[in-house]
Amino acid sequence: MTREKRAQKVSFQYLDPSLPPNHPCHHYISVMSVDYKSVLWNKQKKYYDIILWGLIFLWFISVFIFQYVMHEDMTIETMIIRTTAVTAFFLLHLILMIGPLSRLNKHFMPLLYNRRHLGVSMFLIAAVHGIFSIIQFHTLGDTNALLSLFISNKNYLTISDFPFQTLGFFALIILFVMAATSHDFWLKNLTPEIWKALHMGVYVAYGLIVLHVLLGALQYESHPVYFVALVLGFVAIAGSHLWAGLLENRKLRNIESPSADGYYKVAEVKDLEESCGTSIFVNGENIAVFKNDGKVSAVSNICKHQMGPLGEGKVIDGCITCPWHGYQYIPENGQSPPPFQEKLATYDVKVIGEEIWVHPRPRPEGTFVEPAIISNGKE
Amino acid sequence: MTTTLSILLIIAAMYMVLGNVFSILFLWKGLDKVDPGTKDSGIIFKLLLYPGMTIFWPFFLTKWKFDS
Ligand code: HEM
Ligand code: FES
Repeated sequence: MTREKRAQKVSFQYLDPSLPPNHPCHHYISVMSVDYKSVLWNKQKKYYDIILWGLIFLWFISVFIFQYVMHEDMTIETMIIRTTAVTAFFLLHLILMIGPLSRLNKHFMPLLYNRRHLGVSMFLIAAVHGIFSIIQFHTLGDTNALLSLFISNKNYLTISDFPFQTLGFFALIILFVMAATSHDFWLKNLTPEIWKALHMGVYVAYGLIVLHVLLGALQYESHPVYFVALVLGFVAIAGSHLWAGLLENRKLRNIESPSADGYYKVAEVKDLEESCGTSIFVNGENIAVFKNDGKVSAVSNICKHQMGPLGEGKVIDGCITCPWHGYQYIPENGQSPPPFQEKLATYDVKVIGEEIWVHPRPRPEGTFVEPAIISNGKE
Repeated sequence: MTTTLSILLIIAAMYMVLGNVFSILFLWKGLDKVDPGTKDSGIIFKLLLYPGMTIFWPFFLTKWKFDS
């Protein structure tokens, strides 16, 4: 997209005839986009990208120097192979932990916005490692390099001499497929279900790489620090996932039984910060509840874009704003402000005294539901 | 094992060659027919889709065929 076009898009405003003239949603369309591009390349993202690549570069240089100091006789190819390997593996840990960490603590949220760029960066670095390894170890003979990768060492039944490079190869293929389909175009065209399944492949890739390292480098690097680092990495990933899962489970168990008319208690009014939300999972419904401007509304917790957790987002300028990529919805009817057409299911809410209650029966997507008024304790 | 692997590699290579040919044609001529949201998209956007298209090209081949 040309610069002129992008500028046009950012300053784009649209007056929605169905909203009162001074409703703030009129002016906040620039965050979202009708086509594919602007969501990916807003200014904030560029800023994150610059920091991300700066940090990767610093890390890269440090590992490089560290290797040089430790093994002065190492060739430059080997140094590149090892530095890219360690960098990519480290980034993979980060990627796998961002999800649970941002569920545990909102401060990690900005990383979540940028996870896709992190993933593509990681793939590119891993690809350099793979390609350099293949050049270094498999292009010297007459055999085709890829064939050589699989047959130059046929000890598939051993542990100490297993052809570990093949495991790295399959991991790299998975990372390639994920990086190549990270764009929203693929989410839409391959359908969100297939896309999500495809991107769960990151866990398979992680498993393969752990084996790649265990059966490869760790078979001849006898220093325990490598093994300890590998185990610590695994503990950090598994631990953060378990922890976040447990917390969510506890939240589920605390749900009280419904009132006579089928409403469930969500939270105390005072526990919800102004313009913030929370979520509740009842009767198979994942519901986000927001408090804004003295009113409470409830919509589906699942963003129409990529199923982001809306309840963890905020109400910005009167619109529920998804924490992942900034899709917006009007609280009362779950609709994205025009020209966008996304619609969320809405739910009936009421405020009884100091408590917020929600009915887990979804209204058809985009249905207006009267928000509950917070009575300041004076029922 | 070597023969089996060689055959598999040749099949994979053919899939990739066809994928590249298809991707060039499709991104050039067919993309906005299959997904109207990509109308007026630039060359950089198409280059971004290129690698994925070389993997999932059979899927878009059927879509393109049925749409036109
Ligand atoms: C075609 C694919 C791949 C090939 C041929 C390959 C090959 C190798 C080789 C030969 C080594 C030993 C290097 C040495 O100790 O000098 C190695 C180590 C390693 N590889 Fe890979 N690899 C591939 C993919 C990957 C991927 C996708 C990752 C993911 C991040 C990865 C991560 C690692 C790590 C962490 C090490 C240990 C680094 C070290 O020795 O300090 N590899 N790989
Ligand atoms: S904006 Fe992308 S998931 Fe909500």
